[in-house]
Formats: sequence, structure tokens, C-alpha cells
Amino acid sequence: MVTANFLKRAFLFFVFPVFAISAAELLPPGNRPLPLGVHALVGGKVVVKPGQTLDPATILIRDGLITAVGADVTIPADARLWEMKGTTIYAGFIDSYLNLGAKAGAPSSPKPGANLTIGKFYGIVGAGTDTGNSGPGTDVAQVTPERRAALSYSPDEKALEKLRELGFTSGNLVFGKGVFRGTTAFIALSDTEPNRALIKPDVFQQVVFDTENDRENGYPESLMGVIAVIRQTFLDAQHYALDTADFQKHSNRPRPEFNPAWEALRPATEGKMRVLLEPHSAPMVDRATRIAQEMKLDTCIVSTGQEWRRPELAKSAKVPFIVRLDFPDVSKLPEDDDWNDISLDQLRAWDWAPENAAVLRRQKIEIALTTDGLSDKKNFRKNLKGALERGLAEADALAALTTVPAKICGVEKLLGTIEAGKLANLTVVDGNYFQPESKVREVWVDGRIYRGPIEKKEPPKDQKADEEKKQAAPRVARAPLEGRGAITNAPDLLIRNATIWTSGAGGILTNATLLIANGKISSVGAKVEAGPNTVVIEGAGLHVTPGLIDAHSHAAILDGVNESSLPSTAMVRIGDVVNPETDNLHKELAGGLTVANLLHGSANPIGGQNCVIKLRDGLAAEELKFTDAPAGIKFALGENVKQSNWGEKYTKRFPQTRMGVKTFIQNRFIAAQRYAKDWETYKKSDGPPPRRDLELEAIDEIIRGQRLIHCHSYRQDEILMMIRLMESFGVKVGTFQHVLEGYKVADEIATHGAGASTFADWWAYKYEVIDAIPFNGSLLRERGALVSFNSDSPDLARRLYTEAAKAVKFGGVPEQEALKFVTINPAKQLRIDKRVGSLEPGKDADFAVWSKSPLDSSTVCLQTWIEGKKYFDRELETSRATALENERRALIEKAKKILKGGGTDKPDEAGTKKFFDRALEYLHDHEERHCDDE
Amino acid sequence: MRKGIAMMNRISENGNIKHRNPAGSIPHSIFSVRCSMVLLLGATLGSANLANAERILIKDAIVHTVSGETLSPGEVLIDGSKIIEVAAKVNGSGAAVLSLNGQHLYPGLIALDTALGLSEISGVRSTRDIVEVGDYTPEVQSWIAVNPDSELIPVTRANGITHVEPAPQGGIVAGQSGLVALSGWTSEQMVIKKPAGLHVYWPGMELDTRPKDKFKDKSKWKSPEDQAKERQAKLRSLEDFFDEARAYATAFDASKKNPTLAPERNPAWESMLPFLTGNAPIMVHADDLRQIKAALKWAETNQLKIVLVGGRDAWMLADKIAAAKVPVVYEHIFAQPARDVDRYDVNFRAPEVLRAAGVTFAIGMGADTFDAGLVKNLPYTVAQSIAFGLPEADALKSMTLVPAQLVGVADRLGSIEAGKEATFFMTDGNIFDIRSNVSRVWIAGKEMNFATRHTRLYEKYKNRPKTN
Repeated sequence: MVTANFLKRAFLFFVFPVFAISAAELLPPGNRPLPLGVHALVGGKVVVKPGQTLDPATILIRDGLITAVGADVTIPADARLWEMKGTTIYAGFIDSYLNLGAKAGAPSSPKPGANLTIGKFYGIVGAGTDTGNSGPGTDVAQVTPERRAALSYSPDEKALEKLRELGFTSGNLVFGKGVFRGTTAFIALSDTEPNRALIKPDVFQQVVFDTENDRENGYPESLMGVIAVIRQTFLDAQHYALDTADFQKHSNRPRPEFNPAWEALRPATEGKMRVLLEPHSAPMVDRATRIAQEMKLDTCIVSTGQEWRRPELAKSAKVPFIVRLDFPDVSKLPEDDDWNDISLDQLRAWDWAPENAAVLRRQKIEIALTTDGLSDKKNFRKNLKGALERGLAEADALAALTTVPAKICGVEKLLGTIEAGKLANLTVVDGNYFQPESKVREVWVDGRIYRGPIEKKEPPKDQKADEEKKQAAPRVARAPLEGRGAITNAPDLLIRNATIWTSGAGGILTNATLLIANGKISSVGAKVEAGPNTVVIEGAGLHVTPGLIDAHSHAAILDGVNESSLPSTAMVRIGDVVNPETDNLHKELAGGLTVANLLHGSANPIGGQNCVIKLRDGLAAEELKFTDAPAGIKFALGENVKQSNWGEKYTKRFPQTRMGVKTFIQNRFIAAQRYAKDWETYKKSDGPPPRRDLELEAIDEIIRGQRLIHCHSYRQDEILMMIRLMESFGVKVGTFQHVLEGYKVADEIATHGAGASTFADWWAYKYEVIDAIPFNGSLLRERGALVSFNSDSPDLARRLYTEAAKAVKFGGVPEQEALKFVTINPAKQLRIDKRVGSLEPGKDADFAVWSKSPLDSSTVCLQTWIEGKKYFDRELETSRATALENERRALIEKAKKILKGGGTDKPDEAGTKKFFDRALEYLHDHEERHCDDE
Repeated sequence: MRKGIAMMNRISENGNIKHRNPAGSIPHSIFSVRCSMVLLLGATLGSANLANAERILIKDAIVHTVSGETLSPGEVLIDGSKIIEVAAKVNGSGAAVLSLNGQHLYPGLIALDTALGLSEISGVRSTRDIVEVGDYTPEVQSWIAVNPDSELIPVTRANGITHVEPAPQGGIVAGQSGLVALSGWTSEQMVIKKPAGLHVYWPGMELDTRPKDKFKDKSKWKSPEDQAKERQAKLRSLEDFFDEARAYATAFDASKKNPTLAPERNPAWESMLPFLTGNAPIMVHADDLRQIKAALKWAETNQLKIVLVGGRDAWMLADKIAAAKVPVVYEHIFAQPARDVDRYDVNFRAPEVLRAAGVTFAIGMGADTFDAGLVKNLPYTVAQSIAFGLPEADALKSMTLVPAQLVGVADRLGSIEAGKEATFFMTDGNIFDIRSNVSRVWIAGKEMNFATRHTRLYEKYKNRPKTN
């Protein structure tokens, strides 16, 4: 037992009093006797709370509590007198996110292949079966809300000493790994045994958007999977409460399972326990906010350190943030050319970091500070000074160490201010805490003094001060949103004398006009004159097309594009992880693209839910979404889903054959039908509702015709299988994606009414595409199928117009029909053709302007507009690139200057590492990503 | 309506010849020989041999000579496998006449550094012969492993690509490439230049800045300082390798006068000889700025004849590369910009930057096995650089004459010139326009068959009886 060992140790080695609170206690002989526990701290400057100071004042402490504070306090006779002249006394600091590295609670990996007959893990034979967590719990190893930091707390004197030396006296103890990590505990940073150090157990339920897991460890392996798990788990907990309550009343029904995880979440779902959400990336701050709203949670967010990217997301969170001061520290590079490996965004993250706390405060967000993330905790004060120099007010900083954390941790009655009745936790500084050279003389925890180390007087270093000045130099980095977003927003726009490819009934119009008002097309080809406020584009020699539409994209997805750990992941949603920051948006706009269908990958027969976006670069994720687009979902057939190319390890999970793919999909559809039936039955009964199952709910939506299937497919047999299987459920497939052997069953596809979204000419990259031919599009079209060409590649999406030209080449599709492969046809496939896809009155003014025919290989996209706003203008590219390059150069110069001055005083090891971190938003930029990618 | 290549002359499934007369003007007499040849040779090779006909005068063509002016119209007189004369007007008395009716004639396109030839289906390991084990395997030869019956070859050829350079990959000195014609019964007949180049993959010089905890295998993590040391060690190892090769070459030379000095036979060192003397170029694969700088320095110090292949960052060093007179095979037109400050079109514009600086460059598509079947799109890749500023004439050179020069076959290929091979193709429009169709291809005077896996499947399923 940890506690027993600890106590033994304590008795053997402790010289100071152990049980400071119980002054009355008489220890057995041999122990050093306990003092009276009455103290009078006299003559110090007492900061009662931020903004309220008594100077000088006396603080009386008795039995661990503050009994009086003030200038005229009578000192009782039994008090030990402490001369505090020259010191500033603050309420004891609170570390809001105290990670003492407790290993306990780390989930173990599920064991693939174990427990096949039980098939416990989401019921999938051969999937990673979670036998890792012994005893009852959830199926998902990453979900352990039943764990409690309080139960595994064991004081580590050295770690506590370091914190106390920084002025900390208590903290919110976090622990463990995974997504639902369990409850945190509030502890005093005292060298007493844990029973007494613990001030409040179960402060927060900690939920982390943790994507460290990989495919081999089972579900979830992707960020979108993590979000799906969070959502489902809260729903499960809500249901569990209802279900167990019902069983209390009606014991003659089948008993609910015993699930300590769901049980443990009940206070959180009832709003009685705060949930600590840790989004890990700036765009996910918004996701965390929305999850909290959806699940009606009382939350507190752990800052990503990067809210400066989109401060408004933090603002709309309207909850307190816990802020780390683990800033990146500029790192030496072996050679000058190695700076090439450092991106502008990395430099921005470095330069912005100290300002983040102030950015949050400017959004009226309450913040609490933590020492977490620093390799050497001593850097806390140095970095805090950096934050102050970048605009954080001292009073806010003090509040972030005292009153705010006390409040968010629910201990405001005990801690946070220096008032009678509160715990005698004090931080005593020789001077101002916010000057790093002022020494923390001592702290008081529960009425007991812990003195700071006796430091050797170091000769003052002028050089050091210089360096610090240099580093604190004003921010060089620009806001990342600068230079992004709509360029112009004219109420009225007229393009005249242009060749207009309408992709509608009008065909191709020459010398024609296009009139746009309030983001919509008002007329095409009509004789209209420009009004006084109309912006005019002279279109002579230019071509105008509808904005291009990519029916198959993975170009703006945070983290993995596949949740491949399960054969059905109908519950995961691309809409949860849209990446609004990726450079792909700009690069694809530069190729005339305005709409992309963001699809889950093709690793499983039933994949995740897709999300159609407009490329409104600069806006936040939610604002990119094409709100009128009907819901959809990715399906996949063939080699990928039967794990053919995953390596020899992957031969056990069902399905492994095309036979099994059908069997599996059929199984889930029947399960969804039964699920829907359960809900129907419930509506007529007075029992508790069935458990909400987000996977089956999505499949049920397909059966009800409310969710379109986009089915990755290659071979003709699997295409036919899918058509017939779906017909048996009364479902029409929305699109077949890739559908490279579609030409072999073109009649069947056309009769069924599915769209065909194919590659222009990709082939021979794996066995199932050996019969792919570039005539696929034209043959399908000839037989009456609705055909589009897609990219499945952030590169190809930049030039879908040249892909369309291949339809002319292979099979002789007329030019205006070929362009429809990338305009109105994908719009129809995605059921967004009422809004986009052609240039016709009433539709969104989404269009691209070209130097030549869009099908001419040497054409150049000059401008791209969405809803009457210009998002790309080739003429501005030079100034855009120059601004970025100059910013980068200035940042490198700043970094080198700091390094030349000997670097920061003592670079933090974690900070140096952090300098190289790449933001999740940009992690997959500059690389190809297909649906096979993890 | 433009007609797809499937409507061109071909041999049908049952072996009968179907004729199409694209411009309605090809004299039937010339092709009678061709037809019987085809029947004799069978469907596999299926090429017709103009060499067996009398001299042929191609007239009324827009002749893109590449080496000189484009002749519009122009005439080309060929005899057997050779071009005899190219001019606006040629005395072709006694020659059979083939009028192109104003269509274009381009020299065969040459794709350097391909996986084509060594890889069939990228995702099926057993069909890949492209990466060998070991860092130094100069004796590995690509041309002996080319499959003449690859289904990818006819598809590539049907768009005017007549020659490719299958390149070995892996390690540092991966081996030697050959230039192969996409024509021939056997791999021996296909190869026209061996070795074409020695492929050196410059050691990676980018820093891996991922923190240790991001490594699955923590022992693989190295500090930036260690990485810097390691890359120096790798460069030294590469230099040592060439020094050792030179020592062998010296011994080898000495043994010509005094056979007793002959070194023990060593196939690796023997295979290095032509590349040390400059008889064939060293194809240095280098993308990153640091790699290119280091490679240029290395070539200068050691007086080696190199070609930079890949060349992602070459545009940053264009002047330096031009001054060093090192040619480039630029392969990154459709690669994503590498840095977050790069213009979106940085790689589209790179060829023009190289041209303006005076760099000799060819354009390639890279040797990713995924793209082996898409080498046919070489002209459209190049077209992107025209859209972004490269003059069309230079664009055309970058996939004809320049690659021919780089691998030392400019005396035979790369332009339509008297004395060169009759290797060219005919199109109904500009080769850079996707909508143009290549209708006939000749390699060394032999007309190529146009049947491909694609056209066969197209014909088959176009004729599937309707079921709805």
C-alpha cells in the first residue's frame, strides 16, 4: 500500500511537524513534539486579493486557518511572531493543472484477436478486443471516467518542493492517459500523508481530445473518432441513469449492465461536476464549446496555447481557460540553411506564445495558470514575465494564480484570498512576485511554513537583462488571419463581354454579361447596364465558369482522414474536424474550386459522415460548411476494407473478402432497422428510452432517405452487389466514388440512379484498378449516368478543369458537357444544385474567371468568387507572397538575434522541443492525402 | 466532335484489321506492306515497318522540328528508320507520299526517370522491380528488368511518348538506368542507350525536428546536432565511395599498359568507370536546397558530370546552377509547394525561372510507381509551365531534345532533323492541349500499334448490349 509505506517513511524521516492542522494532537514520545500552530505574520504587505492590498498588515493563523487579517490585529499570547517587513504576502498560489506524472490510470492496449468468441469490442470479430482494463467498464480502452486521481495520489516531496519554491501551495491534480481520464483531485502541496493533503476529490471529469492512440490500439485512432467517442459516452451515461432508475422501480425487467464508467459520469451529465475539456488544437476549442452545449456540460477548457489564431472561438466558449506558460524556446540549428525546415507558422507560434494569455483576457475570458508543460518549473516565472510584457495585467495574473483557480475548482470558500476563515495558504515574496528576481521567501500550506532555499547571491548580469529585453521585443508575427478571407465584397457586380460557360440550359454564351447582386446571380446573358455602385469586370477575352466542385476531397480534415479501427464508423463525423486553416483552401481556390465534399477515408465498409464545404478561406470551420447540403456518409468496398494492403498482421478482422463486405453491410442495416423499431416501440410504451446508438442512428437515416451514401468502389461485381443490397433496403446510392469499372455496369448504375464520381484517368495503382480506363466517364455518360470527375487529392483539386478536358479526349464528350463533370454534375450528385453548379439566375454567385477556355491546358485561373465575394485574385499573389516571406525573414532575424545573444537564459527543454512543433492544422499541408491514408 | 484514339487504326479482338482514314488521305498503297507486316507479326507487337516501304515523303504537316523553326507546312523525307531531309519543300521524287493534311508532327517524347518499365501495378509488390537493397549498388542495371509486354507501355506510347528511362531506386548509389524505346520484341531490342546514367540519391539533409515522444521507436530519435553529424558522415561516405571508385579506375587504366597491375575484378567498381570519365552522366536526385548546394559543390570539386534530378528547390538556386552548367530534370510541377510562404504557383513557374536564368532543363514526372501508368500525361504536366510563363518552344524542348542530350542520344532522337531516327508522332492539334489526339506514332520508322488495354476494354464494353 502506497499510503502505509509513505507513512512509515514519514515517521522515520520527518523532522518537521507532520500534522500541522491538529495542534491539539499529542504524538507518542520519540516524535518531535508539535508546535502550538498559532502564528502572527506581522508587518508584511498583504495582497488580500487582486486589487486589494493592506500595507502593512498582520495575518493571524490558528490550526491551519486564517483567523484575522488587518492593520490593527491584536496578537494573541500563544502566537509565534513572524516579522514580515519587506515582504509581499499573497494568497497561496494554485496550480490549476497539476500533472505530477502519475502513471496510474493509463489505459492498456486492447489485444487484437483476443476474446473472439465474446467479440466484446464493439461486437466486431477480430477487431482489437479490449481486455486491457480489468474489471467492468466501457469497451473503449481510452474511456475510464471511473478512475480517480484522489485514489492514486502519493506525494512526491521533490516535485512538491519545486512547486512551493515557485509560490504554489495547492493544485488541481490531473492524471492518466486517454480520452476520458477520470476525475481530478484538489490537493494541498504539503508533505503530509495523502489523506490530509487532499482538499477535494473529484473536482473535474477530465476529457482530452487525445489522438496519441494509433490503429493497432483500437478505436478511436483519429480525432474525429475521439469526438464520436466523447459524444457517445456522454449519451451512454445519460441513458444509464435513466435505465438504472427504471430498474429501481421495475425489477421484473432485464437488469441493466453494471457500468462504473457511466456511473462515474453521472454528476458530469447532471451538471454537478465540471468537465475539464482539453481540445489540444486551436480549431478544436470550438468543437469543445459545441460538445459542451450539446451535452449541457459545465466546463472549463485547457488552453491550447494558440487561441491567438482565432480569438473569437475562445470568446464564444464563455468558460474559463486554464493556461500553460510552456512557450516555445528558440532553438539552435546546426546550419544556416536548416532554417529552411522552420515554417512561418512555427515561427509565428513561437512569437505569439507569450501573448496568448493576454489575448484570452481581451476576449473577457477568465484564466487560471499552470506550471504544466515546462521541463524545468523554474521557467514559470520567466515566462510569466514574458506574458506580462505582452499585455497580461498583473492583477489578472494574480487572479489567475489565486481567485480564478479557486473558483473554477470549487474551493473558493477555502482558498484564493487572504481572509479570515480560509485555509492558511500563503505565498510570501521578497518584493513583487511578478519580477522574477524577487525571491519567494516561503510559502504557508495549511498553516505550516515551508521555507525557500537559501540562495547564493549571484552577481547581477547585465547581459542577461539585455537578452530578456531582446526576447520581449514586440511581436513581429502577424495574425494568421491577416491577408485571408474575402478580398472584395461588392453588393453589385457586372462581368461583361466574357465567354460564359453556364453549365445550364444557356450553354456557352459569348460576349455575354453576368450580373450579380447580394451574392446571387441576377441575370446571365441579359443586356444590362452597370449601376453607379456596380463593380465591373471587363471580360473581353476571358472565360467565366461556375465555381468548380470536387465531389471527393480530403483536403481540409484535421488529423486522420480514416477512423479505420472498426469496420463501421458511421458515428464519426468529418463535420467535427473540418480544418479551416489548411493552405489547401487557398491553393484550390487558385484552381477555380469553390466547393469540396470532404469525405472520410475508405478503410472500412461503412465509414464516417462526410461534410460539404465552401472554400470561404479565412472563416472558421463552422462557417465553411455548406449548410444546405444534405447529410451523407462514406462507404467503401473492395481491397481497402478487406485490409488487403494493410500488411500480414491484418488478416483476422471481419470482413476479409468481398463476400464478407456485403455480409457486414447487410448486418448493420438490419441492426439499424431493429434499432429504429426499438424506438418506435418506445414511443408507444412508458418505459425508458432505448440507448442512443450514433452508429445505427446514422445508418437508419440512410434507410429513411435522409443520408446519402458516397460509396468508394472499383470492381463491377461489388458495384452491382451494393446496388442490389441497397435496393433490398429501399435505398438509392447517392454516388459511387472512383467507380473505375462503372463503365462495365453503366446501365445498372444509370437505372439505379446513382451518380458516378470518377477519376479522369488514374489506373494500375492497385490490382482492383487494372481495368480502369480513361473512357469510363464518357461511357457512363453515354449510358445515362450522372458523371463527375473528382480529385481525391489536394494536388489534383487545384486543376480539375484539366481533368474535365480528358472527357473530351477520351470518348469525345462535347466541351460544355465535359465542364459539367466538374460543375453542375457534382452539384447534382451532392444535391446542392439548387444553389451551385451552374451560372443561372437565383443561384449563388460562385464562379471562376479564366484567361482562356477552362479546358485549354494552358489556361490560368485569374479570380475565384464565392457568393459574390472574391476569395482569390491572381494579381494579388505577388504582394501576398511577399508579405509572408518578409514576415518569415523578420521572424528568423529575431530568432537569430536572440541566439546570438547567447539564447534565452536557460532554455526550457520542453520549450526547445516545442519550437519545432507543427500545428495540427498544417501538419498535412504540402503533402498528398488520399482516401487510403490514415 | 473530336475523335478518341480508340477510333484509330487498330487490330480488332479477332485479329482483323480495321481501317480508319483519319484525314481521308492516307494512300492505301503505302500501308499494304504495313498491314501484311502486322498480320505476320501478330497483335502483340503490331507495329508496321515503314522501312520495308520505299522512301516516304510526309507532307502538308506542321513539322515541329524542335531543333529549328516549326515548318508550317513542312515536309519530311524518311528512308527506313532515318530522316533524310526536313524542309518546307523537299525533293521527294520516287518516295511514297503521306499527307498529314495540316496535322502536327512532333518528335517522340522522352520521359526521364520513370518507374514505367519496372513497375506494373504499384500496389502489388510482385509487380515492382524498382528498389534494391543496399546503399551502394552501382552495378544494378534497370534495362535488363524492363517488361516489354507491360500493359502500361502501349498506353504511354499512344500519347506520343516514345522513350523512357526506367531508373533504379533505393539507397544512395542505386544503380544504372538505360534509355528504352517503347518498341521492341525483347528488352534487348528496346534499350537504345546503356547506361544512360548512374542514379545517385543524395542523402537526405533535412532535419527531422519531431520530438522524441513522437517516435514510435524512441531509439530512432536523433538530436539536430547528431543529425548534422550524421549527414556529414553520409556525405563523407559518398565521397569516399567515389574516391575508391577512382582508385579502381586508376588501377584499371594502368593495367592497360601493364596487365600485371590489373586490379581484382569487382563488378561494382567496374560499373563506375563510365561515370568517372564523364562518358555517361551521374543522375543526382536532389530536391532540397541543401542537397542541391552540396551536390553542386561535390560535382565541382570532383570534376564529375552530373544532372540534377528532382530539383524541387532548383528555382532558388537557378543562377548558381546555370553558372555551374549543371542540367536539371525538374519533376515537381504538380508537387505541392514545400513551404508555407511559397506562392501557390511556385512549382508551376519554376521551369520559367530556370529558363530565364539559363539553366538547361528537362521536365519529368518523377518515378513514383503510382504514376507509372500516367507517364502518358507528360505533355500536360509540361503544359502547366506554359500556362505559367514558359515559352512553348522551351517547353517542347524540355521533353524532347533536352532529355535526348542529357542521356547522350541527341544524335538519334529529340528533334525532327536530317540524320536522326524517324521517331515522331502525329496529332490533330497542339500536343500540350489535352483535347488534341495523337493518331499515329512511329519509332525508328516503325509505325506503332494503337491498341491498348484501355481501347480493348472500351471497345468491348461500348458494345455491351443495353440492359435498360
